[in-house]
Amino acid sequence: MTPPTKPKSARPKPGQPREPATLIDCDVHNYPVNTAALAPYLSKRWNEFIRQCGFVAPQDTSYKGGYPFNARRDATTPDGHRPGADPAFAAHQLLDTWNIRYAIINTLYGVPFINNLGFANAMMRAINDWNAATWLDADPRWRGSILVNENDPEESAAEIRRAAKDPRYVQVLLFARSFAPYGQKQFLPIFKAACDVGLPVGIHFGGGLRMPVTACGWPTYYIEHHTGMTQAFEAQVISLVCEGTFERFPDLRVVLIEGGFAWLPPLMWRLDKNYMGLRHEVPWLKQLPSEYIRHRFRATTQPIEEPPDPKHLLSIIEMIGNDDFLMFATDYPHWDFDAPDRAIPSVIPDALRRRIFSTNAASCYAFDRS
Amino acid sequence: MPSTGHDVGAAGEFQDGKPRRFELNGRAVVVVRKGGEFFAMRDGCPHAGASLAAGRVTGMPLPCRPGEEAEYGREGEIISCPWHGWSFDLRNGCSITQPERYRAKSYRVEVRDGRVLVVAA
Repeated sequence: MTPPTKPKSARPKPGQPREPATLIDCDVHNYPVNTAALAPYLSKRWNEFIRQCGFVAPQDTSYKGGYPFNARRDATTPDGHRPGADPAFAAHQLLDTWNIRYAIINTLYGVPFINNLGFANAMMRAINDWNAATWLDADPRWRGSILVNENDPEESAAEIRRAAKDPRYVQVLLFARSFAPYGQKQFLPIFKAACDVGLPVGIHFGGGLRMPVTACGWPTYYIEHHTGMTQAFEAQVISLVCEGTFERFPDLRVVLIEGGFAWLPPLMWRLDKNYMGLRHEVPWLKQLPSEYIRHRFRATTQPIEEPPDPKHLLSIIEMIGNDDFLMFATDYPHWDFDAPDRAIPSVIPDALRRRIFSTNAASCYAFDRS
Repeated sequence: MPSTGHDVGAAGEFQDGKPRRFELNGRAVVVVRKGGEFFAMRDGCPHAGASLAAGRVTGMPLPCRPGEEAEYGREGEIISCPWHGWSFDLRNGCSITQPERYRAKSYRVEVRDGRVLVVAA
């Protein structure tokens, strides 16, 4: 059991005078209440297609745990819709409760699960337009991530260039489980477009329809799926580093979202060790692999690892070796939500805590670009 | 003043790219020939202590940009460890990947009157 930790910032009480908001939440989720909600953002051709075939939603491959929609039970909207379907309620339950300055919405709509590429791309654009019109317009504290479709990197690149014209979009969003690792050549247009418009690429927990979550097949339970997701993150980190993505794109930043981070130090050590004997395969690397990881990646905190001795968490952050690395996230409205006043143990010194809660995200993301 | 050195044999006894190990003043030294040039370095990998003389003398893919076809170069100037494949620059004993951190001592080699002399081992 985790020893109790002293909250550093109490939950503000209703009516209590508030400090100016500085907290930045780097991972929040929303969902269209149903497919009909996307109709205004789809052409006649695709609305007719949906009507014709009875499309309801992309296949949901997530393992079923104890929670409908994988969400907090108290996050169902006042009118009974799924958690994450009501921007005003989310603003109240998340942004107001925790006095949040900005929250980045990652819309986890399973566009890559749709095998009809034309339809998938239409849904990709519809989701981004719907998000801007219904969430980003609803509250100035929301920021968005541009959902793209890794199955069509060219169309995704075009979507990045289109959607990024809205300055409230601060990131490009990919799923961790892709059909091939993201360092490979076919994905270059996505990373190039992200760099051209100056946005980091976020890789978020989830995805996958064609590949099992673990390297040895499909596990049985959600607990295995959720825990094993770090394997997908590891594969992406290794691939992006080894394929030289950061040498191709000197301005590229990649954010690991909802993948945890405690697994990174041993990966860094293992990769560096292998580089000593296998450099001949990757002669484009100019630094140790760990240096690319340390300086070009960021990670969001949730679901933060909770070692029995919280001091070990601080040791892990020191092993990663970059105080800019971590950015706080709640994952609202999901069941594994991290509460801002409880998630970061008190062993984390105040200066680092401020970085994690606010300044790291403020320097990673351009919240006020125009 | 001519430098003194350890005579490790006639130049003709060394084949290109075929490392040979010697004990000089109690120190293991590996000597490698590349045409008219000779290299010598401490024969113990700084990583795990393997004898580099049991490894391979190669070149290496030269630094390039991602996606480019790497050019292969420096033939005969790189020695790679027989155990974990760490590679070292025969000209200075430095690791190719972490030259500041890992280095085997290298020695100057002279050829005088057809004899190969390892200096200051």
